[in-house]
Amino acid sequence: MMMDGSAAGTSNGGSGADGDAARRNNTRMPKYSKFTQQELPACKPILTPKWVVSVFFLVGVVFVPVGVVSLLAAQDVVEIIDRYDHACVPPNMTDNKLAYIKNDTISKECTRILTVTKEMKQPIYVYYQLDNFYQNHRRYVKSRNDAQLRDYKKSNTTTSCDPERFTADGKPIVPCGLIAWSLFNDTYSFTRGKENLTVNKKDISWKSDREHKFAKNVYPSNFQNGALIGGKKLNSSIPLSEQEDLIVWMRTAALPTFRKLYGRIYVDLKANDTITVRLSNNYNTYSFGGKKKLVLSTATWLGGKNDFLGFAYLIVGGLCIFLAFAFTLLYLIKPRLVAFELRSITVK
Amino acid sequence: MRPDGKLPPPHPSLAPLPQRPQQATGTDMDPHARLPDPVPSPILKHSPSISRSLRSAADTSSVTFAADFRSPSKPESTSPSFDSFRTARSRPSSVSRSSTRRSASERAGSQRDLRDEDARFVYINDAPRTNAPPAMFPDNSIRTSKYSVLTFIPRNLYEQFHRVAYIYFLILAVLNFVPQLLVLSKEAGVLPLAFVLGVTAVKDAYEDWRRHRSDKNENNRTASVLADGVFRPKRWKDIQVGDVVRLVANETLPCDMVLVSTSDPTGVAYIQTINLDGESNLKTRYAKQETMSTPPEALAGVIKCEKPNRNIYGFLATVDLNGRRAISLGTSNVMLRGCELKNTVWAIGVAVYTGRDTKVVLNSSGAPSKRSRLETHMNREIIALAVALVVLCSVVSLLAGIWMGDHVDQLGIIPFFHKYDYSGAAAHDDGRYNWYGTGAQVVFTFMSAVIQFQVMIPIGLIISMELIRVGQAYFMVQDNRMFDEKSQARFQCRALNINEDLGQIKYVFSDKTGTLTQNRMEFRCASVQGRDFSETDGGEEDGHAVQADGVVLRPKTAVTTDPKLAALLKDGMGAKASRARDLFLALATCNTIVPIVEDTVNPAAKLVEYQGESPDEQALVYAAAAYGHKLVERTSGHIVVDVFGTRQRFDVLGLHEFDSDRKRMSVIIGCPDKTIKLFVKGADSSMFGIIDKTLNPDVVQATEKHLHSYSSVGLRTLVIGVRELSQSEFQEWQMAYEKASTALLGRGNLLRSVAANIERNMRLLGASGVEDKLQDGVPEAIEKLREAGIKVWVLTGDKQETAISIGYSCKLLTRDMTQIVINSNSRESCRKSLDDAISMVNKLRSLSTDSQSRVPLALIIDGNSLVYIFDTDREEKLFEVAIACDVVLCCRVAPLQKAGIVDLIKKRTSDMTLAIGDGANDVSMIQMADVGIGISGQEGRQAVMASDFAMGQFRFLVPLLLVHGHWNYQRMSYMILYNFYRNATFVFVLFWYVLYTGYTLSTAINEWSSVLYSVVYTSAPTVIVAILDKDLSRRTLLKYPQLYGAGQREESYNLRLFIFIMVDSVWQSVVVFFIPYLAYKNSAIDSASLGDLWTLSVVILVNIHLAMDVIRWTWITHAVIWGSIVATWICVIIIDSIPTLPGFWAIYEVMGTALFWALLLAVIVVGMIPHFAAKAIREHFMPNDIQIAREMEKSQDSRDANQPEVQMSTSTRA
Repeated sequence: MMMDGSAAGTSNGGSGADGDAARRNNTRMPKYSKFTQQELPACKPILTPKWVVSVFFLVGVVFVPVGVVSLLAAQDVVEIIDRYDHACVPPNMTDNKLAYIKNDTISKECTRILTVTKEMKQPIYVYYQLDNFYQNHRRYVKSRNDAQLRDYKKSNTTTSCDPERFTADGKPIVPCGLIAWSLFNDTYSFTRGKENLTVNKKDISWKSDREHKFAKNVYPSNFQNGALIGGKKLNSSIPLSEQEDLIVWMRTAALPTFRKLYGRIYVDLKANDTITVRLSNNYNTYSFGGKKKLVLSTATWLGGKNDFLGFAYLIVGGLCIFLAFAFTLLYLIKPRLVAFELRSITVK
Repeated sequence: MRPDGKLPPPHPSLAPLPQRPQQATGTDMDPHARLPDPVPSPILKHSPSISRSLRSAADTSSVTFAADFRSPSKPESTSPSFDSFRTARSRPSSVSRSSTRRSASERAGSQRDLRDEDARFVYINDAPRTNAPPAMFPDNSIRTSKYSVLTFIPRNLYEQFHRVAYIYFLILAVLNFVPQLLVLSKEAGVLPLAFVLGVTAVKDAYEDWRRHRSDKNENNRTASVLADGVFRPKRWKDIQVGDVVRLVANETLPCDMVLVSTSDPTGVAYIQTINLDGESNLKTRYAKQETMSTPPEALAGVIKCEKPNRNIYGFLATVDLNGRRAISLGTSNVMLRGCELKNTVWAIGVAVYTGRDTKVVLNSSGAPSKRSRLETHMNREIIALAVALVVLCSVVSLLAGIWMGDHVDQLGIIPFFHKYDYSGAAAHDDGRYNWYGTGAQVVFTFMSAVIQFQVMIPIGLIISMELIRVGQAYFMVQDNRMFDEKSQARFQCRALNINEDLGQIKYVFSDKTGTLTQNRMEFRCASVQGRDFSETDGGEEDGHAVQADGVVLRPKTAVTTDPKLAALLKDGMGAKASRARDLFLALATCNTIVPIVEDTVNPAAKLVEYQGESPDEQALVYAAAAYGHKLVERTSGHIVVDVFGTRQRFDVLGLHEFDSDRKRMSVIIGCPDKTIKLFVKGADSSMFGIIDKTLNPDVVQATEKHLHSYSSVGLRTLVIGVRELSQSEFQEWQMAYEKASTALLGRGNLLRSVAANIERNMRLLGASGVEDKLQDGVPEAIEKLREAGIKVWVLTGDKQETAISIGYSCKLLTRDMTQIVINSNSRESCRKSLDDAISMVNKLRSLSTDSQSRVPLALIIDGNSLVYIFDTDREEKLFEVAIACDVVLCCRVAPLQKAGIVDLIKKRTSDMTLAIGDGANDVSMIQMADVGIGISGQEGRQAVMASDFAMGQFRFLVPLLLVHGHWNYQRMSYMILYNFYRNATFVFVLFWYVLYTGYTLSTAINEWSSVLYSVVYTSAPTVIVAILDKDLSRRTLLKYPQLYGAGQREESYNLRLFIFIMVDSVWQSVVVFFIPYLAYKNSAIDSASLGDLWTLSVVILVNIHLAMDVIRWTWITHAVIWGSIVATWICVIIIDSIPTLPGFWAIYEVMGTALFWALLLAVIVVGMIPHFAAKAIREHFMPNDIQIAREMEKSQDSRDANQPEVQMSTSTRA
């Protein structure tokens, strides 16, 4: 649309032709390429009604079945939850649970009876669940030293383990830090009638942790020797890589209500089976109003018993199908032929 | 319309004015009585009194940059107040005051007589003495680089920390080291800042390295310098003040020097100043006869010159050649660094300014930095985000306080709080462990929260914007549709921080000459003795070749002649014809043109090129040649004109240069017939004052009529007069002249009065009309700009008729427009016409409410009225009228008024302004406007130097604004909003988690991920998309200029969009956080796994969000968007493969579960639904122009694809 310069050519009449040729040869004109001229081949999708409706519809079609499947899977999971922190306190001490838990002379043994509501296929996962325990608390979550755990040469390294770095006489604690110090120490054993249900505590931790994070040649030392005992004591003759309870505990939970795997029971349980749990209620959650629960649960491909995902998928899928119809309707009611007037403008 | 004669004094349409120092013309003017001292250089131009007509002129009249008189051909430049502007940095009113003060010393140097304490003494050929203390002049090395290896780190850091944002991040980084806080690990805490600093430092280092390299090249060039009586090569950097330097043809000058002798016996040297001011024509410089006579080896003496200053058109010095009388030196005696010696075999000079004292270096400051409107608006939103940040942090610390208050008794024993150190070794803090009381804890929480949530204020944004602007600038520069073939001028981005402003321009203020017009003059018609000769139809294109010594000389440019006039000149008899011949003789002689003979392929034919600084003069001389009066030779003392084949020699007895006060020039010629004639050529307004109307009243009348008609077709007119001088008159003049030119004080005024004394009682010969041709494509460009809703104002120094006619020819004015003309001679009448105009505007406005049927209005106002209006503070009214008009044409305006007009709009509206011009007189306006554009054309480089962007042609404004401006604006606004959104989303995710950690600032997301988030995981796509994405094709944007309105209406970046995107950001963060939260509630999930899920989902989500808004998917876009998702994934995997981090192996574990994938999908879909639905609704039910145009484009494309033949025709590029 712009004209070339020929109109003004009179001014350099004589040498015009030579000049043009010369110019073309050594022009400073930027080299033409699709990239520099911003003309790269491109796809320019536009959100047409067809697209909008099909995307919603497609999402709906995918999400609803997934939702149904996950809901069914979650329904399949059988879960027995028993809160025992309250029940295990002797009736005379319910007003002062803290005194109860701190008093070593009182036996912490406790028995709970559980009834299986539905058949449970093995493996049955045994979890303990803590409520209101902020394993993600900033002061807590930082109080560890991972280098110390995987290398015996670094067992003296206790940086960032405050306030559980050294014993009173200044010896480094292995494993140091608040997390290890507060290791959960309730224990459970299960019987069904006379039959002892063995809890398999092997492989409850991540293989990667056992092999790379907790070394085979690092042994607990000076652990739980302080004035205040936080939790479980560790057998100092067993290397850290085999202290699976510790390994599980050290994988700090993301949320203040969390479960930790205690072990697995490789026995099928039938409905209405009665299970006797003998537990020692050692762990102090009374200081901060935390709850302790014992959980027996089966698992599916989707994890534990949680309906949320199934419902979420169903709702979203449903919503999308609804939106697909709503948009179809809207487009039918108020169709707009593609493109004909610019709002502030009349197209000539 | 008023007759020309009554027009107010400033008369701009004058063209030919010899600004080139012509002192040599005086040297031989009379062989018997040689003038003792040649006429000094253009002193007249510097008088501050010239500018009295301008408001606040007294403040602004410093002349540091009197670049103006170099361009007198421009009408604007000849307006009265013009020359005295300090153009480089002049701003009206308050600003100018300070700048004046700053330049006081420079002014003193140029304008007053030299005092010893203001002078520098240069001992010729005695560098050691010259440079002895206390002088200590700098050496001649040039250093444009900023850093050396040693100083790089401290200096670069110092410079970078000048930015407030960096200080913010520095404070955060330092805060992080407070042991009680240490939110992030030490390494992670400094990473963001280090990254930003590092990238910038690398960029700076690279640029500086390039500068170093070019400095080195420059400094190591050699020149031959006199040492021990012989010229020896010496490196440039070693040249010292006082050295005698010898140059040969085509060599570049290494420093500023005073010319002492040349190969030419008269002491002439020609230089090309293209590197200095962009002018390609040759300028003459003169060596003093006194210095010429001494061989350089024997030269001794002292030059007393002013201190270094920036004025490249002024130089004041005297030379004292060992006891002889001091000789004054002027601009015509110096050659400045950067110029090239041409057409001169050799020249010898004495270095007076070296290195950083040279004028070219002093003038090489960059453009002032401006701030883009988008950035200003962005700061508003950043403040909003800062408030949001404070709110978030306050909420967290408040909740933390409440929680601690609730658990105050238990804090000591809660295993995860552990207020006391029980391990026993705790000697510190009486057994407390990191506990300073609830109050302090709350404060620490607040500060930790600031550190944790710092990316709420996007750190990457600053650096992203810089990268994006570099990218956008690259594409603008590379655009070969903005490349000017003729001048080989590429588009230049001189300011890198206002690219996006180009998309929001509402007002364009354009200079006329050289911008709308080519400043390439063509002689069109002449009024000779009351007869109009403008019929060139039957005429031949006549270069009028002449034969001399067997060689045919032909002017380079042919001019079409009027056969009748040609016949009259050639064969006419009688007084009329001889007057006509006088007229053309005047055109051929009364100028400062130098004929340069060029060889052609044919040895028997040669071309004559007329070199001169004024295109008008060139046009007139070419015209005179075509009409048989051919200038063939000009030496310092005589002119040879070939009159119809016979060579005639005229002695130049005297010459009064053009000056903007007189607005005319005159030359005293001794003719072969022993008569002495005074030819005067000048603007009509000035000429009619000195013409004796009684001599030929009919001619005067007719000429006035012709002048009027010439100027109404857009021609630039000149009036020519003659007077024969008697011998006594001449001698009287000569004595006065000699006295004036040697006066030590007030030389300028004296010379002016000498000129005024002789320039009187002139006989009118006639007038000429020269056409200033429009630049290519100007009418089309203006039309496009108008369609785009941009108001184009033309500010010109031309007179009203010329301005209006140019207005018509470039389609600025149309016939259906109602013109409001304000040109008043008095304050009173000006006020009255302004009031009339307002009532007219109001009447028209009330008549037509419908914007479609509105009568278009044009305001035409002249400089004088503007002065009155600005004087009487009636700006408000003027503004009212002006904005109601579609077109505003300001004629006869002075440069500072140009800036004043721009300021008028800038102050009173929020609309963006753009000023475009090519001359030094446009500098003030270019700097005042939001965006300044310099045309790199024939005029000097001042406009380009002051501009933010420079280009070759006015018409490139259309692609620049409509295409690149539009793209830049769209891209940048989206990028800023997106950056806010993406960082806020992440911060909100962190925030929700904090609510579940006992209000302590821990994160599930790995700290490295949170640091890398804004610099690695999500930054590349924003930058690339903001550089490459195009909402509409170039073709569509040019076809529908209305689309430009999107930027003017700020459609792509406003508070509404900001709120929308922030709401979206909150929603998405809720989705990202709570879907996994609810799914993993009461499960054994560990924080690292959940953190990885959150990291990945937020990164994927924001990238998909971007992907949904990308309009054009090229392979680069695909690569960068999907690539950064993949890169994030890889980073997460790498981080989780470090065994010493608590999250070791989490990603592998979690990726092995179906729940992870199901959640990821759910998060993305649920997160995107509102954005997607809103987008669908917006695009379908309330589409904006851009959306509609996109759809048109798309349907056009598919139509093209279906009909290949159509595609053929449309795809051929212009």
